[in-house]
Amino acid sequence: MFDIKIARLKNILYWVFKIFLPNLIIAGFILGLLAYTEDIKKSTFYILVAGMLIYFLIRLYFYYYKMGFFIWKNLKRLSQIIDEFKKGKFVLTEYDTNTPKDILQVSKELLNVGKQFESIVSSQSDELKKFHEIYSHIIYSINSQFIVIDKNKKILYANDSFCKKFNFELEKISGKDLSSVFYFENKRLKAGINHVLKDKDSSSVVLQNVHLMSVNKKSMMSDIKISSMNLGAEEQIALIIDDITDRFSKDYHASILSHISETMGDENEAEITSYNILSGVTSSSGLGFNRAMLFMVENDMLQGKMAVGPDSFEEAIEIWTSLSSAAIDVTTQYSIEIKRGALLQKVQNYSVSLSEDNVFTQAVKRMEKIHVRDAENDDRVSEEIIKFMDVNEFLIMPMISFKKVIGIIVADNKYNMTGISAQSIDLLSVFSFQSAVLIESHLNLIEIRKEMKKLEERQDAIIESEKMAAVGKIASHIAHEIRNPLVTMGGYAKRILKVSTENNIDIKSIINSADIILEESERLEKILSNVMDFTKPFKHIKEFNDVNHVIRDTYKLLKNVLLEMNIKVNMNLAENLPNVKSDFNQLKQVFLNLFQNAIEATPSGGNLSIVSYSDDSYAVIKIRDSGTGIQVNDPDTVFEPFFTTKVTGVGLGLANVKRIIKDHNGIITVSNNTGRGAEFVIKLPLPTTEQKKAKNEIFIE
Amino acid sequence: MPKLLIVEDEKNLRDLYGEELIESGYEIVKASNGKTAIELIKNDHFDLIIMDIRMPEMDGIETLGKVITMEKKIPVIIYTAYSNYKSNFMTWTADAYLTKSSNLDELKNKIQELIP
Repeated sequence: MFDIKIARLKNILYWVFKIFLPNLIIAGFILGLLAYTEDIKKSTFYILVAGMLIYFLIRLYFYYYKMGFFIWKNLKRLSQIIDEFKKGKFVLTEYDTNTPKDILQVSKELLNVGKQFESIVSSQSDELKKFHEIYSHIIYSINSQFIVIDKNKKILYANDSFCKKFNFELEKISGKDLSSVFYFENKRLKAGINHVLKDKDSSSVVLQNVHLMSVNKKSMMSDIKISSMNLGAEEQIALIIDDITDRFSKDYHASILSHISETMGDENEAEITSYNILSGVTSSSGLGFNRAMLFMVENDMLQGKMAVGPDSFEEAIEIWTSLSSAAIDVTTQYSIEIKRGALLQKVQNYSVSLSEDNVFTQAVKRMEKIHVRDAENDDRVSEEIIKFMDVNEFLIMPMISFKKVIGIIVADNKYNMTGISAQSIDLLSVFSFQSAVLIESHLNLIEIRKEMKKLEERQDAIIESEKMAAVGKIASHIAHEIRNPLVTMGGYAKRILKVSTENNIDIKSIINSADIILEESERLEKILSNVMDFTKPFKHIKEFNDVNHVIRDTYKLLKNVLLEMNIKVNMNLAENLPNVKSDFNQLKQVFLNLFQNAIEATPSGGNLSIVSYSDDSYAVIKIRDSGTGIQVNDPDTVFEPFFTTKVTGVGLGLANVKRIIKDHNGIITVSNNTGRGAEFVIKLPLPTTEQKKAKNEIFIE
Repeated sequence: MPKLLIVEDEKNLRDLYGEELIESGYEIVKASNGKTAIELIKNDHFDLIIMDIRMPEMDGIETLGKVITMEKKIPVIIYTAYSNYKSNFMTWTADAYLTKSSNLDELKNKIQELIP
């Protein structure tokens, strides 16, 4: 600061030493000189003094002209201007007309420079202000919640969105510890912040699906980006929190619904299904209600079925902290274990007739949701319901499926006492609709299952009776086949007895009868062995045979019959047909049966074609005749036991063929030819490499 | 002497019935299937028909149908190896259903009953 008093003193001293003293010295010197040389006249002295005075005044005038007479006053003004400069103001204080021109000029220029500065600075500060406004507006108004904390986790700044979301005022939370604004400390968030603080290299961490709950009990699911900012030496942490509650709950619902539909259908899982639905209503990642209860309409009654929710405030806190402490996967949140607490017991004990009128039954009858905001002052809510719910605000959502109310979901926020938002009402209404459809289809499914079971039982009964019928059919078939030879044998035996008691014994007749008895007993044996063949247990096949060899061997047996019947045989057997794992005698029986059938069906002069070849996995044998073909709709019925078109025969021939081929892991099919006759195709599996190896080993032995 | 027609595809049985019934004093004509039987009935007079069911060409059921719709009324005994066959076949009714037996007394009694 300029010391004006010193300046004034200096100014006076300046006058004294620079103007007055030199003048005085010069005047004294001239006076001395005059006094020494000549006698001084009084008038001379006066003239001298007057000249000196004039000289002094002239000098003073020039000094004044240049510096101003009272320099301190100008200095004072200058210092005022500088002071104004310092304050950032560039105001030209009025100078009186006495102000020396130079100083006026200088101070005017100074003022101009100052003005220019002012305009530059002010234009830049406007710009800065604008930027600042834009940025702070962005930060303030972005949907994401934004907070800045220092390294001690004290809140420095929080944007509007954060304050609004969690019901805070910025003034009240700034400077406070971050953990003090949340209801419970989220361990993942804490770990994330520590990570960013410790590890300077990774400047940001992203956390997904973090459950946050403010001390005001506002809850949300969020994605959080934690980044560190270095402002000079000071380190700050910015948290950008995105509210994903809606998206998350939609995802959660989609997944819970699909989970429900997957587990649905089992009658025993009806409880689990309804439990899962209510979990969707209560879970923090779902709709976030504290408690949810399910009542179903059954025979004009509303019956409590299921409930999810803590039984006490302590339990609620425990659930919330445990849920938030771990990185939870949405899909693993479904509980399989139903908590059977006091709430569930209370709900399951509740039932009310629909003819009665209370707020629950009203929701059912009117098919509309009821939002009770203040139960105690709500006429719709009876004392009984107030006692039952023990909460002032609750929501009753009907579950409507196909224009029919199948039940209601009752939800409340008993423990965190937050109001039920319009948004969660909307979500619950969508969710309950979806659940209703699910439950309805579930119930239908169970109904269908029951009906199916009944049908199955009925079918079983039918099958049982058919089995009996089949047994009867078998018995009657066999009885019929056996009776004819038995009757014949008995009849002729009687004849022998009769003839031998006569006086004149007719030996010829006796021999004839005995022959017939013998013949018929052979027939009986054959029938018996046929039946026994069919019921013979599966024989393990170890040998490998050339199918062509079996065919030729069988053909030899029937060669004469074929000649007799004038049936032309075209045999086209592939050379190098691989040996197949088979039982020689059983295969021979197969071909014998098929050839005999073909011969019986083929009129004289017909054809029988036998072809063998192999493909990648099978040896294939085709037997084709030009006979009558198969006269039934489904050719496969010829393989059924006791199927026969012949007058005599048990009807086990082809059934036996099929059984043998099946024992060989083969396939047999039959079809009618486009022209005449039928074609049987047998496919026998070629040995696998291991089997071939095993076969070689057998040979080595 | 009453004239009987035996329709039976098994030769041994046919012969057995024939011999037994000739001895009982009947005149016997034999056919091995229904077709032959119908031809015989058309051209000859029979007092009674004894017929099997399971036969080639034309079985006993078809033959019975043809016999019953004929102008001539001839009693028919179905003589079969099936037991309880009657219950399975009701469209046409034969005069008697008997199950084959080596003891022909039942058959003979039934013939007596139908043509005294």
